[in-house]
Amino acid sequence: MAYFKDDAEVYATIGKLFEDLAVDDELGEQFRKANTIVRYEYTKPDSVITVRLQEGQPGDVDFGESEMEPEITMKMEADTAHRFWLGQVNVTVALARGKIKAQGPINKLLKLVPLTKPIYPRYKAQLEAQGRGDLVEAR
Amino acid sequence: MSEFKDFFQFGAPTRVISGRDLIEGTGFEFAKEGAKRPLIVTDKVLRGTGLVDRVAESLKADELELAGIFDDVPQDSDTRVVEACAQAAKEGGADSFLAVGGGSVMDTAKAADVLFTHGGELAAWEGVFGLPREDDGAGRPISLAPLGAIPTTAGTGSESSPVTIIKDAERGIKFVILDWPIAPALAILDPDATATLPAPIAAATGMDALTHAIEGVISTEWSPHGDAYALHAIRLIRENLDRAVADTSDEEARGNMLVAANLAIAPTGLGASGITHSMSHPCGARHGVAHGVANAINLPWVIEFNAGADGVGTKLAPVAELLGVEATGGAEELGAGLAEWVRELVSRLGLPTRLSQVGVPEEGIAQLAEDAMGEGPTLTNPREPTEEDFVALYEKAL
Repeated sequence: MAYFKDDAEVYATIGKLFEDLAVDDELGEQFRKANTIVRYEYTKPDSVITVRLQEGQPGDVDFGESEMEPEITMKMEADTAHRFWLGQVNVTVALARGKIKAQGPINKLLKLVPLTKPIYPRYKAQLEAQGRGDLVEAR
Repeated sequence: MSEFKDFFQFGAPTRVISGRDLIEGTGFEFAKEGAKRPLIVTDKVLRGTGLVDRVAESLKADELELAGIFDDVPQDSDTRVVEACAQAAKEGGADSFLAVGGGSVMDTAKAADVLFTHGGELAAWEGVFGLPREDDGAGRPISLAPLGAIPTTAGTGSESSPVTIIKDAERGIKFVILDWPIAPALAILDPDATATLPAPIAAATGMDALTHAIEGVISTEWSPHGDAYALHAIRLIRENLDRAVADTSDEEARGNMLVAANLAIAPTGLGASGITHSMSHPCGARHGVAHGVANAINLPWVIEFNAGADGVGTKLAPVAELLGVEATGGAEELGAGLAEWVRELVSRLGLPTRLSQVGVPEEGIAQLAEDAMGEGPTLTNPREPTEEDFVALYEKAL
């Protein structure tokens, strides 16, 4: 069974994580060094999050349609994205199996991978604070 | 006790034929892959050796039509060259590509095949397993036009890998397109194709093959299949690289090095690589350092960096045994012994041993380290490096 029943749940959880990171004084600035715009296209349920990671620009995060033109597109099931932020996805294996499909200059995102590890416990804490501890349990 | 790996995938999608006197049979073999009107992709130096004419004659002898010869590939190809190559194929009415050359030529032909088949901007295809597939992206990948390859260097193994690495003419970086259809349908390994290879290039490309093999074994994306290929490649490299460089008329050594390079790419071509490549790609993109030379310089430092990481000592032990490196003590001593063996080999081959000797300035290190962090092999290296680690490694290699 999928973790999320609709796109609103995706935006309320993974989307909120992106929004919080965008305004994080330390991490937001580090992520914006990637200098790109990324669109995450999720399936099951269909949902889209577009994130601006550009130096000197606001950390915009759009849900659904966006006027931001992405440079990089990442496609995956919403469950895969959720488990990634819980620290349960090996990115190289997911890419090799086609669980994550990436197009564009992904070297810009690969530089950010070491920054994501401290976010795993933060995402878990966020879910628990939202009363969504059920999403933390493995399925 | 052998480890049962949680996950790996392996494929050898290229039909490889190897032996003597195969050049004259190129048309006969390529026709089996559906080619009827190939475009030969090569460079001007090779064209001047007469090899390309022999290949062209072979095509005609087996009643294939020649769509043309694109010989504008430079040593370090880029997106503009690829676009011109794809355009030449369209204008010539080609239905297939035949690469005759080294890594730059073969990667150009692969990337041109992507543009020829799928159109669009090349940079838009950057990524892994992202080429079009049936069933709305979930099914079988759509085949490219048939691609054949005759490597004229023994190093990159690009003739059998599902990956192409091209320099972006505008961004000044190298980028990767990796997917199964990119692997050539046919690779012809004939030592006659390396007969005019100068010794310094034979040495540098041979070091590229050795780097593929060693990094393929210790990468987090190692596989039992990849190990089988890589370890035999290491055995062949030990027995033949010195010979092939010392005496360029040694056909047996040259032939075995072609086979070694072809074996060594098997794990690396599927992503089992390490930070020697992460360090070397920016050296090429930023400072024009030949890939094999950069690998030769960087490899020993990376072996030492990785040796102490969890499980690496176990993986390096058979490598050391094959190379005749005797090391007592723990993994770090083993790494030190192997690194020293590589340094001695590089010196013996007459290659540069320092990045400063090949045009890398000290003030360029910060940018190189930043670039290296974004390289795919950084994710699959057995020890996770920081940007500061890369700075330290470049300083050592400088």
